[in-house]
Amino acid sequence: MNVVEMHCTVNGRPVRDTVLVRLTVAEFLRDRLGLRGTKVSCEMQVCGACTILVDGEPVSSCCMLAADLDGRRVETIEGLARGGELHPLQAAFWEHNAFQCGFCTPGFLMMSKALLDTEPDPGPELVREWLDGNICRCTGYRSIEQAVLSVATTRDGDGRPG
Amino acid sequence: MLPDIALHRPASLAAAVAGLDWDHVGYAGGTELVPALRLGVRRPTALIDLKRLPELSGIEEAVDGDTETLSIGALTTHRQAAASPAVRRLAPMLADVVAHVGNVRVRTTGTLGGNLAFAEPRSDLATVCIALGAGVDVAGPRGHRHVSVDDLIVGPYESSLEPDELIVRLVVPTPHDPGARYWKLQTMERPTLGVAIVPGEEGVTVVVGAAAERPVRVVVPSGADAETALDAFCAGVELISDMTGSADYKRAVLRHHLAGELLGRRAA
Ligand SMILES: Cc1cc2nc3c(=O)[nH]c(=O)nc-3n(C[C@H](O)[C@H](O)[C@H](O)COP(=O)(O)OP(=O)(O)OC[C@H]3O[C@@H](n4cnc5c(N)ncnc54)[C@H](O)[C@@H]3O)c2cc1C
Ligand code: FES
Ligand code: FES
Repeated sequence: MNVVEMHCTVNGRPVRDTVLVRLTVAEFLRDRLGLRGTKVSCEMQVCGACTILVDGEPVSSCCMLAADLDGRRVETIEGLARGGELHPLQAAFWEHNAFQCGFCTPGFLMMSKALLDTEPDPGPELVREWLDGNICRCTGYRSIEQAVLSVATTRDGDGRPG
Repeated sequence: MLPDIALHRPASLAAAVAGLDWDHVGYAGGTELVPALRLGVRRPTALIDLKRLPELSGIEEAVDGDTETLSIGALTTHRQAAASPAVRRLAPMLADVVAHVGNVRVRTTGTLGGNLAFAEPRSDLATVCIALGAGVDVAGPRGHRHVSVDDLIVGPYESSLEPDELIVRLVVPTPHDPGARYWKLQTMERPTLGVAIVPGEEGVTVVVGAAAERPVRVVVPSGADAETALDAFCAGVELISDMTGSADYKRAVLRHHLAGELLGRRAA
């Protein structure tokens, strides 16, 4: 079996590991690190359930090799809440009933975070453009869009609700 | 799980090219290659990581007389190209097209070089590059060569690259007619039909992509002959039926779109 050494940070924590070349980032997070919040469904970059941030940018962890995380900064759903306090996006999803079964939610939250980190005040069009690659079979999307927009309009400069 | 595979990380273009063959394949974003490995449609024994090759990176402009050339490194991601001031200024149609490829995650990791090399028959990028007369700088053990994108794309998932060749840069001649435009019909994750239109001196260049085995290029004369030429093209162009629609459906949409764009009216 071919292996490779890598080190990265996951939610701020340094990780050093020897991984199989064939290991995907999703498998690395879920099976090696026990971070099961990242979901896997289509494995083709279509559904977005596996969305995480690498160096702040959204990627499909199902189609990326763990070897490619070497030297990079990974953020997953587990890193969103701080000390028991929900991230404003999580609170907004809760308030707007933006999930039902919840399977798609980690992916939507991470993609929404990527959007707001890039563009703190997006309009509905930009929100739709960014969430276009995430599939939800329960909500009908409207509540998700409203949740993201509510954070965009209420938060202040440091990213916390104003 | 993916099949077992080795990984090499060459630091120079020469080393990368020396290591390439049928079983040792280059990869960049992996957006096409990882699913292909998983499905077993590609079975290499080793991956050659191209992401550390500086020759394949960056976006540059070169001026030569009154033509300016845009040189885009093969590793440039769709998002980087879409955000590049040089690409937006010199090739706005290209910038617009790459800004709407797939979804944000595909655009973040997927590279322009990987898109063209994979020769996915529904590539928007290939269609637009052919319409703009773009080419690629290719490196291999025998040196560099320039290939037009029209000659690069042979058929579905088939390019004219040798197994030991790499796309180094995408080269786009500029400026383009400000009337250059691209339209796509898309209901699923890949386009159903893509149409690039570039006005020129001999007429309007039309390239139809996504609906055929590879992009189809035609020059429609302006003036009185336009309608006849357009009808003949639409009737004769070979389109394929797939999950997104039948060939007849695509032909009807194409005819309607081109009539609106080139004849200034909608076909019945
Ligand atoms: C869900 C989804 C939706 C998509 N939608 C669209 C769309 O709407 N329009 C569109 O145009 N495209 C679309 N794409 C295709 C996308 O643009 C490509 O997947 C991506 O750009 C490929 O780049 P990569 O770096 O990830 O390639 P990789 O997967 O790393 O490589 C792909 C292939 O190219 C080879 N290769 C890579 N780089 C080079 C190089 N420099 N020289 C020679 N060979 C090379 C590899 O060996 C491999 O065979 C979509 C893809 C996905 C997954
Ligand atoms: S599981 Fe990765 S995009 Fe669907
Ligand atoms: S909440 Fe069930 S899929 Fe989105």
